[in-house]
Amino acid sequence: MAGLEFKALHKTYGSVPVIKGVDLSVDHGEFVVFVGPSGCGKSTLLRMIAGLEDITSGELWIGDKLCNDVEPRDRGIAMVFQSYALYPHMTVYDNVGFGLKLARTDKAERDRKIRDAARILQMEALLDRKPSQLSGGQRQRVAIGRAIVRQPEVFLFDEPLSNLDAALRVDMRMELAKLHQDLGATMIYVTHDQVEAMTLADKIVVLNGGVVQQVGAPIDLYQRPANLFVAGFIGSPKMNFAEVTVQSIDGTMATVTSKDISSVSVAADTSRMSVGDTLTLGVRPHHLTLDASGTLVGGVSLVERLGNETNVSLKLPSGATWLVVLDGDHNLRGSQALQLAVDSSTVVLFDKTGQSLLAPR
Amino acid sequence: MKRRASIIGGVAAIAGTFVVFVIPFLFIILMAFKDKAQSGLRDFSWPQGFHLWDNLVEVVSTRNWMMITAFLNSALITVVSVTLLIIFAAMVGFVLARRKTRMNGLIEFLILAGLMIPPAVVPTIWLMQGLKLFGTLHGMILIEVAYNLPFSIILYRAFVATIPRDLDEAAIIDGARPLDVFFRIILPMLWPVTVTNIVVQSVGIFNDFTNPLYYLPGNQNATVQLTLYNFQSQYNTSYNLLFTNILLITVPPLIVFLFFNRQIVAGMTAGAVKG
Repeated sequence: MAGLEFKALHKTYGSVPVIKGVDLSVDHGEFVVFVGPSGCGKSTLLRMIAGLEDITSGELWIGDKLCNDVEPRDRGIAMVFQSYALYPHMTVYDNVGFGLKLARTDKAERDRKIRDAARILQMEALLDRKPSQLSGGQRQRVAIGRAIVRQPEVFLFDEPLSNLDAALRVDMRMELAKLHQDLGATMIYVTHDQVEAMTLADKIVVLNGGVVQQVGAPIDLYQRPANLFVAGFIGSPKMNFAEVTVQSIDGTMATVTSKDISSVSVAADTSRMSVGDTLTLGVRPHHLTLDASGTLVGGVSLVERLGNETNVSLKLPSGATWLVVLDGDHNLRGSQALQLAVDSSTVVLFDKTGQSLLAPR
Repeated sequence: MKRRASIIGGVAAIAGTFVVFVIPFLFIILMAFKDKAQSGLRDFSWPQGFHLWDNLVEVVSTRNWMMITAFLNSALITVVSVTLLIIFAAMVGFVLARRKTRMNGLIEFLILAGLMIPPAVVPTIWLMQGLKLFGTLHGMILIEVAYNLPFSIILYRAFVATIPRDLDEAAIIDGARPLDVFFRIILPMLWPVTVTNIVVQSVGIFNDFTNPLYYLPGNQNATVQLTLYNFQSQYNTSYNLLFTNILLITVPPLIVFLFFNRQIVAGMTAGAVKG
């Protein structure tokens, strides 16, 4: 049974720091997702766990073993690559059994384990084929089978679904969730797709520039982002931001105003602000509603009608563009003026350094 | 109009190829059928009588069955050299393509130098004598390996670069040690280049004339190409026997080529299209 523990992990390429001190603990059986934009170091971090990259400094504990200098094969991990990385000259059977063969597993036991893995992934019919005769989804299955058969303590996934088409991705996502339930192993999953992150994760780790921005349950990250980066990264479409000035403070309520929004009262950590401060207000596109007495006014510049919802690009008086997602279908014309209400309970304020000013729970 | 032009072009190309490649070969075959007097004329006349069998027996039995020794020597040199070449060149190509160090530039320069700069014969002989390898078969094998290594390395390195690094890493995670990665994953995937190497190098080494001439003196060490000297001298050349000899030693490379021909073409097109 193995959790993971990172202590001040650093990684530098030459003089370029890539991972700048990551502290994190992962419990056994948790499904942890690393998200972040390209080049944020999430794949590097995963490869450090796998042992494919050296650790410059810090400690990596897998279970109760310090694994900094342990060979990948002795770490009790298995990894699924974005490109699947199947051995093209071997059949599916040999691909799945390669690790067992290297470990000199007895032939009968090897056969049993390979067939078990094939049964779990419903690919018994594919065992005699070569990877070139498989579709993308089937190759993905084989890659996962190769990981399962080693019965690792920790599964590592490096953007495993990004080479699949959209429909297949949804299916495989569900299968991965089911696999996690069935196997109960620790899984670490790297993706830049936040839908995957939100749906699969027990715990999301948001990375940017080699630094952990926030760690938490998906819904916490969505509702209570720690800073501007997390607020902008989690949630789709992106959160809208506006610069606001604090007008008055009353207990835990701050009233803010800007060129575009007449005045909104927001529950916030008022101890860290004072009247006249310039803050950043963030509101999600879904939390704006059509309201004739609303505080926000803007002109429609672009409309996307999806049937169940309508995405509107709104031009505000200050020149900023906000995105609004309206429930249901609305037949809006370009340049039409809209009046919207802001759901103040969902608004988040950020200070000058980008840290959020959420009211303590 | 265009059609006729292409037909004319095709016929011209076939005719050209025929003159350059096929006519000399036909000449060899014709000569091998003639007797000594007629072959001395060195023309395209039809053989008077069937002398091929006599010629063959004569060629093979000359100088105490030297041809048999020569075939054994050449086969040994070719097989061992090509085997070593493939293993070493693939290993160097693999490491060179995978591991980026500051030495890579220098190593690549040296490989290229090995390809371009002609080897100096006298210092090599001096070195071989110092190492007690001069005039031995294993010394000859080492020379063939050394001379042909750069070309094979360049072939392999280019191909290794097209194999995704993910495969190495997947194997490492599966528990493969470096030699497992090389022998179980990389080398099998290099098969198309290996075939090319086998064909090019074995034909080249089998047909090598100058290097055995310099480095492998002695009747016991003769290679097939050197047997040609048995029938050619300043005052007396038996053209019928010379050409029979040529015919005889052309056969093995031809067999290699016929055997691997399909695989060369398959190898050249494999991986060209993403599967």
